[in-house]
Amino acid sequence: MPFEMIVGAWVATGLTLLIFSFLYKDNPLFKLAEHLYVGVSVGYVSVKTYDTVIVHLVVKPIVENGEIALLIPVAIGMLMLTRYVPKAAWMSRYAFAFIVGMGAGLAIPRTVSSFILKQVEDTIRPLLSMTGSDGVTFSMNLLNPASHLNAIIILIGVSSVLFYFFFSIEHSGVGKAVARTGILFLMISFGAGFGYTVMARMSLLIGRLTDLIEFSDTSYGRPTVWLSLLTVGALFLLARRGREQPPDIH
Amino acid sequence: MWMAGMTFSEKMLKIDRRIIFLMIGLCTLLPLLYPVGLPIKTSSEVRGVYDHIESLPEGSVFLLSIDFDPASKPELYPQAIALLRHAFKKNLRVITMTLWVSGTGMADQLVTQVAKEMGKENGTDYTFLGWSPGGQAVIINMGQDLYSAYPSDYRGKPTKELPILEGVRSLKDVGYMVSLGAGRPGVEEWYVFGKDKYKFEMGGGCTGVMAPGLYPLLRSGQINGLIGGLRGAAEYENLIGKKGKAVAGMDAQSATHLAIIALVIMCNLFYFSLRQQRG
Amino acid sequence: MIFLRRQLPLLITLVTGLLFAAQYYVPHPASEQMLTSATKWLQIVGGFALILGVTSLFHQHAVKIRRQEAGWGYSLVLYVGMLGTIAVGLWTNGKESVEGTMTAFGWIYNYMMVPLQGTMFAILAFFIASAAYRSFRAKSREAAVLLVAAVIVMMGRVPLGEYLIPLSGDVSSWILNVLNSSVRRAILIGVSLGAVALSFKIIFGVERSYLGGGKE
Repeated sequence: MPFEMIVGAWVATGLTLLIFSFLYKDNPLFKLAEHLYVGVSVGYVSVKTYDTVIVHLVVKPIVENGEIALLIPVAIGMLMLTRYVPKAAWMSRYAFAFIVGMGAGLAIPRTVSSFILKQVEDTIRPLLSMTGSDGVTFSMNLLNPASHLNAIIILIGVSSVLFYFFFSIEHSGVGKAVARTGILFLMISFGAGFGYTVMARMSLLIGRLTDLIEFSDTSYGRPTVWLSLLTVGALFLLARRGREQPPDIH
Repeated sequence: MWMAGMTFSEKMLKIDRRIIFLMIGLCTLLPLLYPVGLPIKTSSEVRGVYDHIESLPEGSVFLLSIDFDPASKPELYPQAIALLRHAFKKNLRVITMTLWVSGTGMADQLVTQVAKEMGKENGTDYTFLGWSPGGQAVIINMGQDLYSAYPSDYRGKPTKELPILEGVRSLKDVGYMVSLGAGRPGVEEWYVFGKDKYKFEMGGGCTGVMAPGLYPLLRSGQINGLIGGLRGAAEYENLIGKKGKAVAGMDAQSATHLAIIALVIMCNLFYFSLRQQRG
Repeated sequence: MIFLRRQLPLLITLVTGLLFAAQYYVPHPASEQMLTSATKWLQIVGGFALILGVTSLFHQHAVKIRRQEAGWGYSLVLYVGMLGTIAVGLWTNGKESVEGTMTAFGWIYNYMMVPLQGTMFAILAFFIASAAYRSFRAKSREAAVLLVAAVIVMMGRVPLGEYLIPLSGDVSSWILNVLNSSVRRAILIGVSLGAVALSFKIIFGVERSYLGGGKE
């Protein structure tokens, strides 16, 4: 096993356990790891941004391929940085105007096409297939999401939820029944969402513990075992020190 | 905090949360150390992606966008590995990239690792284009002119000279595209700014948190398959016949889910008994 | 001066917004070429926005260290981590691996950043369990429906659940593909309508908060 991998395993395990120590109590070890995380992340993003944006997207094309026009977006980008100079901060508005204006313009037709028209089309289209040249057909298979029964349920769901969120008119009478149906659908969907969120969070923990188990191997020198004992010991000492100091009573 | 005079229900409802932490920790650790290996049923959502890749002829262009960072590694890394193994087995032309800056190193490592395992050569059989800033701007730029968005690949070699990109001018020349997304930009952005105008076939992979929100796209056929979370990755590993970390994690997933269900049921039992006691 | 400070930026927003909204419907080669160049520019300017975010963090913690506010030691750790990573990154030209061998930058990424970020999110698993126990109570009919749906989906998405109660797999699949997708569809349509409305407001200058910077 290469030396840097062994050292890496010890460092990775140590940092993992420092963060896990938060589960016992918020403590300086956790704060240390937390701040280190932010520092390393920002450092990594800085290096990557410099390497990709400045070197590969700006300098190389201008120097090697003579794409002088790229100096215009560089100038716009530099304007953005004037935000830090209070007297010149208004110049950064041009940069933001460009980004936001272009972003909004690009998004409008694409969003309308993808998320509004296409989605409404797909809600109604299955209902059209019910009446064909050979009369009315109606498939009732609940397990097949494309069946007609399910298409009707989806239509009821979409319209009742859309109606529930329409607060400009009062939900009374028939409206109230539709809104209540909407709420029912919403609750089921949020329940499913919660179930999936639980699944996702547990998977993240499973991933970390898998790595910790991998690093408990003898070829790395069993960092998981030794560092776990060290962390538990450190937390125990911290708890003892906390108990020895008299609590503040006001 | 337990105080004097509390009934059993009250005590159980106010239990120290560290006991729950310990319970979850054990439910995750023990099945990982002593796996059982229950069978995993395949869902139609995952089958959609698998069947489509199976149907692609040799030499088709397959674009995989690794749009996640180390925070979502446990769920999406196994998905990426399974998809790449499948694509390489089918001898597809694999183009990989990422829209998330903090995932670049991880994406590079993952692609290199699987390519080495399957005996594929960088530049000829596959390429890793790396990261480019802008999210949706990258997608549109790739749709217009791929070489404008990525003048060089991750190693710094000019993309116009790569054999694997021969004949691929833009996203319109891509046969199938899968985005493994943990948020924004992800599957939705690839559809809105990519497939909507440039009309390539598309599938999605995502974390468990995002999965329920992508079902409308799946139902309307805007994406032809969805691999959701670690469970989706496990199903895909089963389909390609090479079990990996996702299948290994399924027992722990089962144990933790049942633990949470038990906790929720218990909490409600204590709550209702307390409500009855108070009248 | 007012024109330069307020009207001109709003004019830029209006022109770029309308131009690129209309571009979608114009397939002429000149319009496509404009889109290609403009999105390239947008990418570069977007890169500068990242630089803005990074420098703001630099500044925030530098102030904390200089003023020796409470917890400035941690800000120092953050700074050391940041500068150390940048120094190593620039030394290795931003490459995590060269010809298959890991560089020092790659070492920092794999053995520091990945475990730190992974674990920060992994501890959420414990909190969701504790939160579920503490607050997931069927206090009303709607909450009960939510709870039942959650339990069915949690059961049906794991092999053990499908093994013990095979029906849970089919029911959770139906919940996801039919009930859930109808709700998410409605939410998607609603949110998209809102986003389009907001985009129009920004383009026509009704919504100006994105400008920031300066007094007016």
